[in-house]
Amino acid sequence: MLENLFTNIAGSLRNLLDSAGVPPLWNDVTLLVVKLVAILVFILLNAIWLVYMERKVAGYMQARIGPNRVGPKGLLQTICDIGKLISKEIPINQGADKVLFLLAPVLVFVPPLMIFAAIPFGDGMVALDLNIGLFYVFALASLSTVIFWMGGWGSNNKYSLLGAMRVVAQMVSYELPMILSILGVIMLVGSMNLSEIISAQQNMWFIVTQPVAFLIFFIAAVAECNRTPFDLVEGESEIVNGPYTEYGGMGFAMFFLAEYASIMIISAMATILFLGGWLAPFGMTFIPSWLWFFLKMYVLIFVVMWFRWTYPRIRVDQLMGFGWKVLVPLSLANIFVTGIGMYIYRAIGW
Amino acid sequence: MFGKGLIKGLAITWKEFRSKKFTVQYPEQQHPKPERFHGRFKLDVDSCIACNLCANACPNNVIKISSEKVEKKKFLTKYIMNIEYCLFCGMCVEACNKGALKFTTDHDLTQYHYDAIPLVLVEREAPKPEPKPEEEASEEKGGKNAKAAAGKKGKNKEETPAASADKSATEEVGAGKAPEKEGQ
Amino acid sequence: MLRTETYTMNFGPQHPATHGVFQVVLTLDGERIVKAEPVCGYLHRGIEKLAESRTYTQVIPYTDRLDYLAAMLQNWGYVLAVEKLMGIEVPERAEYLRVISGELSRLASHVLATGVYALDIGGVTGFLLCFRERERMMDLLEELTGSRMTLSYARIGGVADDVPEGWLDKLDKLMDDMPGYIDEYDGLITGNEIFQARTKHVGKLSPETAIDYSLSGPVLRGSGVNYDLRKAKPYSVYDRFDFEVPLGKNGDCFDRYYCRVCEMRQSVRIIKQAIEQIREIDGPIKAKVPKVLKPPKGDAYAEVESSKGIMGFYIVSDGTNKPYRVHVRRPSFINLGYLDEMCRGWLIADLVAILGSIDIVLGEVDC
Repeated sequence: MLENLFTNIAGSLRNLLDSAGVPPLWNDVTLLVVKLVAILVFILLNAIWLVYMERKVAGYMQARIGPNRVGPKGLLQTICDIGKLISKEIPINQGADKVLFLLAPVLVFVPPLMIFAAIPFGDGMVALDLNIGLFYVFALASLSTVIFWMGGWGSNNKYSLLGAMRVVAQMVSYELPMILSILGVIMLVGSMNLSEIISAQQNMWFIVTQPVAFLIFFIAAVAECNRTPFDLVEGESEIVNGPYTEYGGMGFAMFFLAEYASIMIISAMATILFLGGWLAPFGMTFIPSWLWFFLKMYVLIFVVMWFRWTYPRIRVDQLMGFGWKVLVPLSLANIFVTGIGMYIYRAIGW
Repeated sequence: MFGKGLIKGLAITWKEFRSKKFTVQYPEQQHPKPERFHGRFKLDVDSCIACNLCANACPNNVIKISSEKVEKKKFLTKYIMNIEYCLFCGMCVEACNKGALKFTTDHDLTQYHYDAIPLVLVEREAPKPEPKPEEEASEEKGGKNAKAAAGKKGKNKEETPAASADKSATEEVGAGKAPEKEGQ
Repeated sequence: MLRTETYTMNFGPQHPATHGVFQVVLTLDGERIVKAEPVCGYLHRGIEKLAESRTYTQVIPYTDRLDYLAAMLQNWGYVLAVEKLMGIEVPERAEYLRVISGELSRLASHVLATGVYALDIGGVTGFLLCFRERERMMDLLEELTGSRMTLSYARIGGVADDVPEGWLDKLDKLMDDMPGYIDEYDGLITGNEIFQARTKHVGKLSPETAIDYSLSGPVLRGSGVNYDLRKAKPYSVYDRFDFEVPLGKNGDCFDRYYCRVCEMRQSVRIIKQAIEQIREIDGPIKAKVPKVLKPPKGDAYAEVESSKGIMGFYIVSDGTNKPYRVHVRRPSFINLGYLDEMCRGWLIADLVAILGSIDIVLGEVDC
């Protein structure tokens, strides 16, 4: 019963609209809008929760308790922080390009929202079931590069410019291994539809058959999000906050929340591609599928945070060297080996 | 193996994640302070002979003393410390021969107004010299001024009427009557 | 034709990674440093001038504020110079107490240097774990002297107070725990491949250049020059302890950092030996010194091995109870002399690594 909670809600809403005599086109459109609004609320609530979780995880790993004064166990900390940030002035530099400067924090939430529309949260719970779902997701992920660049350029500040240059270099170079590493998965499944990728993992999750690809994908995805050890974009010790230096108040909050939204995206993608999406491991179907998806996503988010609070950050030239000289050849080798493996499988007749 | 150090780092953070936290939740819990802690000052007014050794020992001229001669003895009338310049180095406490000036463990010296910062340890009128050879008004026993409760003002405010100089009162040892002070 | 030009960027006084208010005016070509000009003086408080109008004992709290992270070593250097001027001999128990509190201060300073270096490179957890240890050391120093950071513990002729009841046992327990903690730092910071990639072969310093520029401390020893004042010209009772001087091989940032970690272990050794030896010694903690000190006319110079390098005090006396001139040879200030050339050709991220490995403290640089 719990399994089909959300599909039942959607179904009853559709019946309601049908019985009210709404034409089928408007029926579909309204349902789509409701689903998108639900996804937006999901992203925002999760981003707010992740801010708190990050601070608590950071505190616990550093032999201290995180926030624990505001609200019970500190749960209302993020709400108060957002309240404080809303009340602040957004300073605009003299000589800053106002259009770019103000547009960047507004647009930064658009790619995550569009990506989440195509992700299957559970059995039959996709807002947009696209046949080229994977392609769509990664095409949109590349768009965020431009938005960070806008923020850095529009600030008229040397530190921001350095940060923006680093962002572009980093995100462009790490997209390549990210996409090459999942080509192995696409070869195994034969389709780019996200729901089909999940169904193809019913017998065995792809992390078992493609461990190297998982590792490469995870590392490249962490680099895409600008998280430590690859957070030299906003590396506080050197360029004080990179492209976000000149932003105050809600502008800063937007970038901050968007970073958590992108962490959610990469965890969701890694779950779908390698960890079986909403499929229950060992047949434990008493936990609904969307809850499994949620749990797997959060395990990966915890690992991302664990990386952040353990590792120092690497330098720009080492970052580029690592991306181009290590990850790209490895992912190409992975495709090669997967191809040979598939050929041998078919030849043996399995 | 490349990456061994990375895995070890993760293991250490995981261990820290599960171990006991070091935080002391101030102000509900506090670290016990040692006896030698350099906190608020307290002056034992009876032992103080206004010799000015502490004022001379201070690197920053924090202590201001004034005394008057009453019946061939020095009577301490003012002992004010400008805490805003104090280094809490302890030279004054060390210099005192009689052990009158001491530290306490009270660390709460913040004030809301700038004028309230100087620590007024003694401020009183010198008694008029008596024609009769009676005992001096040394009933104004200075109690220990460093009570921890003084959050807003820099000193205690226990108003007890100071024994006037006219009475031939006997000395009361150990009575904790605080001397009259001007409030701020 | 494509033409590029260099630009000037201010690694300003307000920056999270400059260990204080310190400015470096960088001339950059892309991200490469062409010239790095350090500008100091933002924390100048006129300690040397103030010392001219204070008596000899009153200068001691001011010397605390020079390198505030290892306060006892500064006090020690100053009183050593005054004692040399006046020819005072310090009783044995006082010497041992000076060694114990001095090595504890050195340990605290190195722990902080390690943590802050990890913070600069990006591993925030290392920073907080190091500060947890520093808290314990400061608690011990608070029990001994009354203050946590600006100790003013040394006096001319000895030290201010004897150890309280049970303090030596607590210190012993902390010294037993320390090697475990240092292993933790090794695992989290030193052994991390990313950290090593950031610091190895960066900012090389050859031993000849180091000697030419009169650098000292771990900066000098990281390049392989075996000069530790405690072994080369032993002062106080250092010749009674058995410890080693760690040396680096390549003179890069990693070697300087690792020298400090190894020196921490040696400090633990020295303190443990000192605790054993001081239990046998009884005696005064201060020599008989007149209340009003009037040293004879003349001058004296004394040095100690501070945590940042060789700390020297030069005192000129004109017979009155106030010094005529006090000059401080500050190791951080002199170690910064080579910053410009050491940084040329490296990236901005390396500037942070190099500055962290020199380990400056602004109280000392600006005096």
